Amino acid sequence: MADDWWTVLGAAALNNVNAAMRLLIIEDERKVADIVARGLRAERFAVDVAYDGERGWEMASLCDYDLIILDLMLPGPGGSEILRRLRHAKKEVPVLILTARESTAEKVENFEAGADDYLTKPFAMAELLVRVKALLRRGAVPQSSVLRAGDLELDRLSQQVRRGGKKIELTSKEYALLEYLVANAGRVLSRTMIIEHVWDQSFEGLTNIVDVYVRHLREKIEEGHQQKLIRTVRGVGYCVSDEAER
Amino acid sequence: MNTRSLRFGLIGWYAGCLTGVFVLFGVVLHQLLGYYLERNLAELLSRRSEQIAVSLLANVQATGEKYVVDEIQARYNPAQFDRFIRLTRAGGAVLYASGRTADFDPSGLPAAGPGNSTRVVRLADGHRLLVTARTYLSPSGGAYVIESGGPMQAIEEMLSNLVEMLLVNVPLAVLVAVGGGYYLVGRALAPVVRMARSAERITLRNLDEQLPVTRSGDELEQLSLALNHMIRRLREAVEQNQRFLADASHELRTPLTVLRGELESAVGQTAAPELRERLGSALEEVDRLVKIVEALFAISRVEAGDAPRQWTRFDLAQLAAATAEQMSLLAEDKGVRVNCKVEGNVSVEGDSARIKQVVVNLLDNAIKYTPAGGCIELSVQARGGKAVMEVADTGIGIPAGALPRVFERFYRGDQASWRDGGGAGLGLAIVKSICSAHGGQIGVQSVEGRGSHFKVELPLAGGT
Repeated sequence: MADDWWTVLGAAALNNVNAAMRLLIIEDERKVADIVARGLRAERFAVDVAYDGERGWEMASLCDYDLIILDLMLPGPGGSEILRRLRHAKKEVPVLILTARESTAEKVENFEAGADDYLTKPFAMAELLVRVKALLRRGAVPQSSVLRAGDLELDRLSQQVRRGGKKIELTSKEYALLEYLVANAGRVLSRTMIIEHVWDQSFEGLTNIVDVYVRHLREKIEEGHQQKLIRTVRGVGYCVSDEAER
Repeated sequence: MNTRSLRFGLIGWYAGCLTGVFVLFGVVLHQLLGYYLERNLAELLSRRSEQIAVSLLANVQATGEKYVVDEIQARYNPAQFDRFIRLTRAGGAVLYASGRTADFDPSGLPAAGPGNSTRVVRLADGHRLLVTARTYLSPSGGAYVIESGGPMQAIEEMLSNLVEMLLVNVPLAVLVAVGGGYYLVGRALAPVVRMARSAERITLRNLDEQLPVTRSGDELEQLSLALNHMIRRLREAVEQNQRFLADASHELRTPLTVLRGELESAVGQTAAPELRERLGSALEEVDRLVKIVEALFAISRVEAGDAPRQWTRFDLAQLAAATAEQMSLLAEDKGVRVNCKVEGNVSVEGDSARIKQVVVNLLDNAIKYTPAGGCIELSVQARGGKAVMEVADTGIGIPAGALPRVFERFYRGDQASWRDGGGAGLGLAIVKSICSAHGGQIGVQSVEGRGSHFKVELPLAGGT
């Protein structure tokens, strides 16, 4: 494990922007920890992993990480305990909680203890990445008001959409969906993520509503264009990219 | 009053027994008193005959019969003292017979038979007379029959007084006893009534409550203790069930996370379209599993009531209309029309996100099971002190045999058309548990092939 750590630190020095970011995963389920680590490393983050609470707390207190991904159920001190210790030691590192127990009361408790975000297992890797990036961006430069994907242009202020300079009329839901997809361009977003972001939790079971809206959206923005913008990734979700659909 | 209650039954038996005992007592008393008084009178009368025999007839040889007769008249004065005395010479000749008194007229009284006897005779005027007859053999050899009589009237009056007294007092006593008994039984049974009332208040939500126990040391205390034990065991079972679900949740979620993560990264790494399709298909099934796990635990959480009470007051009509609007594209896409008939402000109290889920699930079902060209009607109104929301469709309907089971977990009809929906059979179970968690209820009517009609009733928020 220690080897891992130094290898990663060494690798971090070589890599680009994201590599300047050092993340710690404290998770006792090795497979889950490894999948998350792999996913994050693919995004060029430097990732350390601790498989128990004791080791996790040691690493978190010794090193200054940019973000900690913390499981709640751990051998040794639990996730809540580590979170409390961190905040007690005045460490302001953003903490993303992973949990298998989805109780709102627990959620509230951990937010009060200083958690920055919360993700319930089983989660989609894409969702974890989106949240990690959001946490790292927090307090950073505001995004520009115009989003682009290929020849598609979204103006967030006026909520206007143009493709190839031609204005496209969208309903507010269609706009919200498109904005979410374009803001995360290049990333596959799951239907659940889309529902939670564009609709609300009450629609959770209703993933087919996403398909219907995406179809309508496609009709509007892809009509008369050769290049498909919204890509379907079977079993995962949707993705906006300017690459041609594979 | 409940005539089948324990109280009523007990008192009925009690009153019956008491009345029986009193009647028996009265009859025996009446008989004994009559017998005793009659014997007393008979004794008095035979003593009188004895006196006449010993003091007068013993010397009849010396004094003569005339003297005896005069003495009897002088000493006993039957007419004045309401007595009857008759002296007959054995053979039939009446020496003396007292006449009419103020009370009775003994004339025409038949003669007594030979020997000593006591009899009751009814006189011509209706009065009854107790007559003792004694045959006396005088030293001179002559035999005389002395009859001595007294009216039964006093005895009869006394007996009838007794009957009157009993007729008035026995019912009175029974009434008082029944009243007292009713009160006492009521007091004794009051803890049972209290227990029943508090037992009714106990649901899955407040299993930590206990029934009140009166430390009386009697059977009722035992009963309440036994019930409390039962509630405790029930609570333990429910808690165990919830713990099991929480543990199962954890245990299922972790492998699902791994499965999903591995499949996703495999999809990202493979370029072969066929393999991507297969991995995608596997991912879809993982998604379905995740949904089932989540829906199942959503139900158990709602049922356990441990969802935090984020209750607010909101307008059900507005919520339903807004949700229908959000889902209209879904219906449009299917070629189904949604008519929204909501009226005014129908204010209810609850977790609006969950109630919204009720609307979403019901509308989603309706859209799913209504063929193109069909129509769904959503209405919300305040009716009969309740907030009533109805979702009616012109869809395929539900077979009568399946109707009672549609709210069960994992229940899906046998028909293939039901399976097309692709759900896990948990949507309506969630709807039902949310409704009951809000103190409401849900019902369904359906005609196969013509459509279904779901009706949700929730309590209106107070003060509206």
